[in-house]
Amino acid sequence: MLQDIAMTDRTAFAIGATIYLAAFLFGCIALLLKKPYPRAAMFALLSGGFLIQTLGLNLRGAAIKACPLGNTFEIAQFIAWSLVLLYFIVGPVFRLRLLGFFVAGLTALLSGGSLLLPAWDQPYPAGIFGGNPWIELHAALAIFSYGVFAIVALVSVMFLIQQHGLKKKQFKGLYQYLPSVQQLDLMAKRLMITGVIFLTAALLFGAVFWINNPHLVPMFKLGVTCFIWAGYIVVVILRLQKKLVTRRHAIAAIILFLLAMASLWPVQSARHTESIPSSSATTDAK
Amino acid sequence: MSEVLQSLFVLGSSHHQAPLEVRERFSLTAEQTQSLQKKIYADEDIRECLVVNTCNRLEIYGLATTPDIEPRIRDLLCQEHGLSRELFDAHSFWHTNLEALQHALEVCTGLDSQMVGETDILGQMKGAYASARDAGCTSTVLNRLFEKSFQAAKSARSQTAITRGQISIGNVAVDLASRIFGKLNSSRVLLLGSGDVSEKTAQALKSRGVADITVSSRTFENAHKLAHQLGGAAIEFSDFEAQLEHFDIIICSTAAPTTILSQGNLTPALKQRPERPCFLIDLAMPRDIAPDVEKLENVYLYNLDDLSAIANENLEQRRAEIDHAREILKRHAWTLWLQLRRRELMSRS
Repeated sequence: MLQDIAMTDRTAFAIGATIYLAAFLFGCIALLLKKPYPRAAMFALLSGGFLIQTLGLNLRGAAIKACPLGNTFEIAQFIAWSLVLLYFIVGPVFRLRLLGFFVAGLTALLSGGSLLLPAWDQPYPAGIFGGNPWIELHAALAIFSYGVFAIVALVSVMFLIQQHGLKKKQFKGLYQYLPSVQQLDLMAKRLMITGVIFLTAALLFGAVFWINNPHLVPMFKLGVTCFIWAGYIVVVILRLQKKLVTRRHAIAAIILFLLAMASLWPVQSARHTESIPSSSATTDAK
Repeated sequence: MSEVLQSLFVLGSSHHQAPLEVRERFSLTAEQTQSLQKKIYADEDIRECLVVNTCNRLEIYGLATTPDIEPRIRDLLCQEHGLSRELFDAHSFWHTNLEALQHALEVCTGLDSQMVGETDILGQMKGAYASARDAGCTSTVLNRLFEKSFQAAKSARSQTAITRGQISIGNVAVDLASRIFGKLNSSRVLLLGSGDVSEKTAQALKSRGVADITVSSRTFENAHKLAHQLGGAAIEFSDFEAQLEHFDIIICSTAAPTTILSQGNLTPALKQRPERPCFLIDLAMPRDIAPDVEKLENVYLYNLDDLSAIANENLEQRRAEIDHAREILKRHAWTLWLQLRRRELMSRS
């Protein structure tokens, strides 16, 4: 059925990114007019972008016959997709005002930005995961956890903005529509724990593969991934011990997410240069 | 005296002239206010006088027999309360005659208030007038001035919409609390002192469903009475420091001459609740909470000036109504001025 669709995967990603950008601009205009945007409209726009992006991922997956996580472009698209999916899950539960606006901004940046960098969309051999479903699960979980960390970073940015407004006695504009600092802090804590659980599970699946095929996993990628994971573990432990809370927790979440994002490009490059598998070989996803 | 009533005056300092840290130095207790009023009235050149002391203003209304009374009143006030004359001169105003009248009318109407259009000031002016009249410090001129001012205030309010859209301190506090805690149903409130504004603020928080309200005051009976009204509990004033960690919102309005909350006594309490923010509302004059408390992580400190600034954010929308009210008061002031002059002339003849 996907073959019948007269659209390339990149066109679908571009339409999706445009809809996310439209959602973000819609939020900006509403805020400039000093009015809260209708949540239903934001939800509808994000849903539209999400459906088109899902189509793009499906088209790409059908083309490579695997989960589309083989290069930086696909990973960026998958993280953006995970971020919106998480918004659909946590948005109605926590009912955080402006979360949709911030999600739209970050997904437009990730999705649109990756489209503007052709170097990120390097071709790679078909069957990159070697048909090993466990390694595909490892990759999908790892990238999904990055989506969780993306939403944690967004919530942390919202926390810092609201806290700045309260400390500086600002009452108008963006500040009045943001959720409370306590809600944001609590949500960041819960999501951070969730993200660490997903990333730990992903690393466990990856570790089983690595033990059996150590020569197929680039050491640079392994080191960077473990470093990011250790960073999140330390932050979660300190948070649970109430030693790293509120503002410092928010700053740590943002820095760790930026580090995780910054590591994607060198990690992917390392994989392509260190370990180019044969078409029959299995390799790690990320 | 070439002109009758040429020595009707008002000397004062309010939020227009003095910032919070200066105003709190000018602030007087009820006893000091009475004492100052008596001393001014004892001056042989003062025929009538009245002292108004609220959290935002200290004003001395008077009628003198000489137009050169200003330096003496300033000296008397500064000497009596150990104030720097230079500081007071830099942050005070002096109006005479028609200007003094217009000022009294605008104060009573709430046009001169920090939160423009607020109604509490009328009660405070009535209280100050009753006190001065009972002490025998006012007579025909100030009696008529203040009684007519109260009528003019009501008239201006009923003919304009200056109070429409006006946000109370309590509503601002509730909005801020919502920005800090979200839903307030698990927030615990501590009221230190039993002032009128703090009571209203606590009631506004109660109406939004705070978990509980605890009151502590130097006079336990007052605390118990207010706690009963608010459906809360009272604790001894000596105990509040030990229990600070249990409270999310602390409203201070004591008459303490120095601060009662500082980094020193708040830091240990905050360590016991590192994940929960603390919202401090300082409604006292002089302030009850040291300003450097604001630097503490997870603490949000708001004083009277901060809350009033937020409440006045919709002031521009009410600007036309405020100008209209001012015009009404000008007419009242002019009529009253003519009446007072006529009376004064008649009494002389």
